[in-house]
Amino acid sequence: MRREATGVDLDDPRLARFEERIAAGEKIEPGDWMPDEYRRQLVRMISQHAHSEVVGMLPEGAWITRAPSLRRKLVLIAKVQDEAGHGQYLYHAAETLGARREELEAALLAGRAKYSSVFNYPTLTWADVGMIGWLVDGAAIKNQTMLAQCSYGPYSRAMVRICSEETFHHKQGKEMVLNYAAGTPAQRRMAQDALDRWWWPSVMMLGPHDSDSPNTPLLVRWGIKTKTNDQVRQEFIDEHVPELLEAGLNVPDPDLRYDEETGHWVHGPIDWDEFWRVVKGDGPCNAERLAARNKAHADGAWVREALAAYAARQDGAREPAPVEA
Amino acid sequence: MTVQPAAPTLAEGVRVALIARLTAMGDDELLLGHRDSEWTGHGPLLEEDIALANLAQDEIGHAVLWYGLRQALDGSVPDDLAFRRDPEDFRSCLLVELPRGDWAFTMLRQFLFDCYEAEALPRLARSSYAPLAEAAAKALREELFHLRHAGLWVQRLGLGTEESRSRAVAALERLWPELGGLLTPLPGDLLLAAERALPDWDTLTAATVGRARQALAAASLDPGHDPEVPEASGREVASPHRVELLATMQSVARSDPEAVAW
Amino acid sequence: MRWEVFKQDAPGKPHQAVGSVHGFDAEHALLNARHVFGRRPSAVSVWVVPADKVFSRTAEELAGFDDGSARAGGPAAEGGGQRLFHVFRKASHRRSMTFADHVLDVEAAGHDAALAGALARLEGEPAVAWWVVAADDVARSDPAEARSWFEPARDKTYKQQSAYGTVSPRRERAARP
Repeated sequence: MRREATGVDLDDPRLARFEERIAAGEKIEPGDWMPDEYRRQLVRMISQHAHSEVVGMLPEGAWITRAPSLRRKLVLIAKVQDEAGHGQYLYHAAETLGARREELEAALLAGRAKYSSVFNYPTLTWADVGMIGWLVDGAAIKNQTMLAQCSYGPYSRAMVRICSEETFHHKQGKEMVLNYAAGTPAQRRMAQDALDRWWWPSVMMLGPHDSDSPNTPLLVRWGIKTKTNDQVRQEFIDEHVPELLEAGLNVPDPDLRYDEETGHWVHGPIDWDEFWRVVKGDGPCNAERLAARNKAHADGAWVREALAAYAARQDGAREPAPVEA
Repeated sequence: MTVQPAAPTLAEGVRVALIARLTAMGDDELLLGHRDSEWTGHGPLLEEDIALANLAQDEIGHAVLWYGLRQALDGSVPDDLAFRRDPEDFRSCLLVELPRGDWAFTMLRQFLFDCYEAEALPRLARSSYAPLAEAAAKALREELFHLRHAGLWVQRLGLGTEESRSRAVAALERLWPELGGLLTPLPGDLLLAAERALPDWDTLTAATVGRARQALAAASLDPGHDPEVPEASGREVASPHRVELLATMQSVARSDPEAVAW
Repeated sequence: MRWEVFKQDAPGKPHQAVGSVHGFDAEHALLNARHVFGRRPSAVSVWVVPADKVFSRTAEELAGFDDGSARAGGPAAEGGGQRLFHVFRKASHRRSMTFADHVLDVEAAGHDAALAGALARLEGEPAVAWWVVAADDVARSDPAEARSWFEPARDKTYKQQSAYGTVSPRRERAARP
């Protein structure tokens, strides 16, 4: 890719020093010099990641009130709480780069910000909750483990913290699906149906093929990504396919086969038309997800105003705290 | 769910009364936690989603404690109590059954319930029935934090804006009278109080109302007359709110009667 | 408003910068810090400081390699008199979920002077970044309430990955009644 096109000045001596630091495994911290493009790419990636977590609360959150056991109820509330927390850590990381959470949220609510398309699919049954925990969080863990090595300190730290919490999501999802796959006929059907609907969105969650990922080479050079989409995707498939098969489930990919020579599972063609449709806002639930977030924001306006008014009155000498509109 | 160790031997009347009291306590906490959990993903600030999810987990955790104590007395499985009892067999009070309303409603309902727990739990921690005393001491731990959180919201709602104040007033108009329903003793509570397994209920009621009134006054909120504590507990009546709540809560669990594990 | 959060994992350990929360006033921020960072073990104390009251310098900034377009470094110039400052240091580039540890308290006239004092005292020790906050700017959780604030998280084992062990089809089949 032509770095000149991104405004990176190849002759800037600070760039050479910056790239040396990254190659040496140093973390770039707020206050350190960084190319504008590095900052821009990070704000883009981190905010999309944050939005994904927050929007991701909705498909599973919808099942909290129907969780069928006390333990599942507690677990699901804790899991969705974690998703809010993860969004929180990520907005923080974006804010260290000069972004403002209010502006990022406004962009999301106005439909101008991207987030992971996987959360634009509906959760139709209780088993979907388990399948999301196993597959979607499984894919997320692969990605986040890779990003934990990121050169930008605050993003790396957010990833390390998120990874430590995400493992429980993965395990409880797997626990649920294994239970249902070995359960009553109705439970088994529910588990298979969930897999039929969530397999491809999870595979696609790891992003477009490397050949369609123009940002990737620069992100790798600057240590923002340390593996490509296809590499992470392969790791995800190699780990999850054998376990799904061992559980007695059928992976909905007629071309899926194990390659003895490479030791990898080879998957069939991905329907990228559907992926881009959903990313661009035409998925089954895009409108619904954004409407819910907009409603929460609007309904909460009077609450934030009350908090601001109280704070201002407490400290009368100060300017009133700006209201988070 | 870990099975509780066998309970100390009790007179039958006491055992039956304890089962009823523990069921009411478990049902209250479960439904309150459920209402709190409805906010997840819909709160006014990301940090508040996280906060309310904490409260929901705490309350449901308490339900697990109280149901566990009942299990030790009559073998009832907590998941069966929660998911396979009909609405008319629940013993929750209307205060916790009411829909979540707006943020002021949820915060004030939580506040009133926290006032009750702040007075009930220390007294229950001195119960002559040791398993109850232990469980209450455990639940009491988070109570200080709950009070601080509830107090923060009472202040900011009452002393925030005109709108927050009027919403708080409207919420109190609906909630305050229902405090009586939370505080009405069950028929067996008198016997339990005599056995010192439960505190004296009149003292508990006065303390709860007094604590709530004081915190509300500090936020310039006046809830009006003391709530009427009805003679007979309304807990045996399945309100439309309880029916609606349980229909949702139990829908998946009841959808597959053969299912052994979820 | 944004508030930087510092968490102490156990008595005797330093407070560590763990992230930030939004909050409208100090009490709100402090409680939010507990919700966000205290929902799992371990913690015994949290501090919050308005983000614009944190004075920050990286090793690169101190060496003058930055281009001045970096943040000027927080709080405006202050009046005279000695005040107490907490100094936090990030010692290495090692991967971590925390940023900087509380290493020193310094009496000084301002943040700049406090950092200079810390650098002098800790000369020779490796550091990649520094934060300085005035003790007066810190809102702290009450040690007397630590048990209530932080202990209950220990019992919520359903959300701790260590409580799950290895989840496998064989184990699930074996566990069924």
